Amino acid sequence: MASFVPTSEETLEDLRHYTEDRLVDVACLDCLARVRVKKNSDHQTSVQWSAEARSACQEFVRRDQRPGGRDVHKPCTRLMASIDDAVRAGDVPVGAYDGY
Amino acid sequence: MTDTRMLDQGTTPIRFARGWHCLGLASDFADGKPHAIHGFGTKLVVWQGANGELNVLDGYCRHMGGDLTQGEVKGDHIGCPFHDWRWGGDGKCKEIPYARRVPLRARTQRYETVVRNGQLLIWNDPEGSAADHDILPPELPDVMSDKYTPWSWHTKEINGSHCRELIDNVADMAHFYYVHFAFPTSFRNIFDGHTATQFMESKGRPDTMGGGYGDENSTLKSVATYYGPSYMINWLEVDYKGFVTEVILINCHIPTGPDSFLLQYGITVKKPEGLDEKTCAYIAERYTESFGDGFLQDVAIWENKVAVQNPLLCEEDGPVYQLRRWYEQFYVDVADIAPEMTDRFEFEVDTTKANEYWHAEVAENLAKRAAAEAAAPADA
Repeated sequence: MASFVPTSEETLEDLRHYTEDRLVDVACLDCLARVRVKKNSDHQTSVQWSAEARSACQEFVRRDQRPGGRDVHKPCTRLMASIDDAVRAGDVPVGAYDGY
Repeated sequence: MTDTRMLDQGTTPIRFARGWHCLGLASDFADGKPHAIHGFGTKLVVWQGANGELNVLDGYCRHMGGDLTQGEVKGDHIGCPFHDWRWGGDGKCKEIPYARRVPLRARTQRYETVVRNGQLLIWNDPEGSAADHDILPPELPDVMSDKYTPWSWHTKEINGSHCRELIDNVADMAHFYYVHFAFPTSFRNIFDGHTATQFMESKGRPDTMGGGYGDENSTLKSVATYYGPSYMINWLEVDYKGFVTEVILINCHIPTGPDSFLLQYGITVKKPEGLDEKTCAYIAERYTESFGDGFLQDVAIWENKVAVQNPLLCEEDGPVYQLRRWYEQFYVDVADIAPEMTDRFEFEVDTTKANEYWHAEVAENLAKRAAAEAAAPADA
């Protein structure tokens, strides 16, 4: 059942641009997690996880066993380092196309 | 065919979000009287029974539609002012004083209740599922003890806007400069399962009078997480000239109609060591006032804007499409929740260029102000 319904086909195309375009696969150097990454600039990073990657990340598995609170939502430092490596190796293009 | 970009205003949902919603401080309902809360397109009745339990039902009696919020608490039950049908917190009619028996079908809409961090939360689900206690907001250690000031609680009716406008703020970096007069120096989002978090560090603007986010002497570290569609805990560390205060802000709402909601916010401050009660209360009131002003700054925007289903973004904007994709999970049937609505997503906004431009603009504003002040005596 749809909730917020767009009235134009172009809106669906925008949704695809902003959420799916130019995502590049990056594998974690420490575990089996594979995520999709986009960088619009040196300081901007998007990381799209899947349920499979989320459960492969050992850092998150450890954190999920601790009681909830404000610190459980931070990024995995090992994956962040892996992304930095991939960017340095030129595997993740840096730059935006008209805002996305 | 034209190159002009059109605003798609979309259509708003015809249902209300599934999840926990906060009705206010539990202590405000504990006087043995019925209370009216507008929510989910109806009026709810809230009361505490003689047994101490807080109960929430649809406010209208299933007999002849009498308004239970104008009735009377009788023992554990609420009696209707029209014919005194007595309803229990489980949604069943328990007694009709003038009748031999109660009709078997005398059941009304009830909401499961939980008191968490001193607040009354209820579970809403258009599909009628049992409440999911695994996704309640976390308990806040030491809040409600003498280490923190008591909740300062406030409400504000918002008309003409869907509550998604409020949610959009989670991903909106630049509005902190324009609407709340602060420089966001660091800004990140993480959406994961039923939670959506904003991490922000900001500094007040020296060319404005401040507001919720302080003046040039204050920096703020903020972690704000929505637990479900309507209840946000915002942990704030405010550094004012080296004096650090820990503040917890609850920002929650109840949808009242298709384009209206009741905003509620509460503030508690960790009492700084060495300060007396009166000073702590004073500090808490000042923060309550300034964050209240912050909400009013947002309200002024919402009251005049239109809904946009197709926001046009620049490179410095936050992930509003991904945020709305996350928010959508609460408006579809559980069976229709798509993986991408709950899959973890992380986004770091690049604030470097924006802050360069903003600092230049603020410097220009300060120079203009100085020039105006220098010229003023000559005009007088």
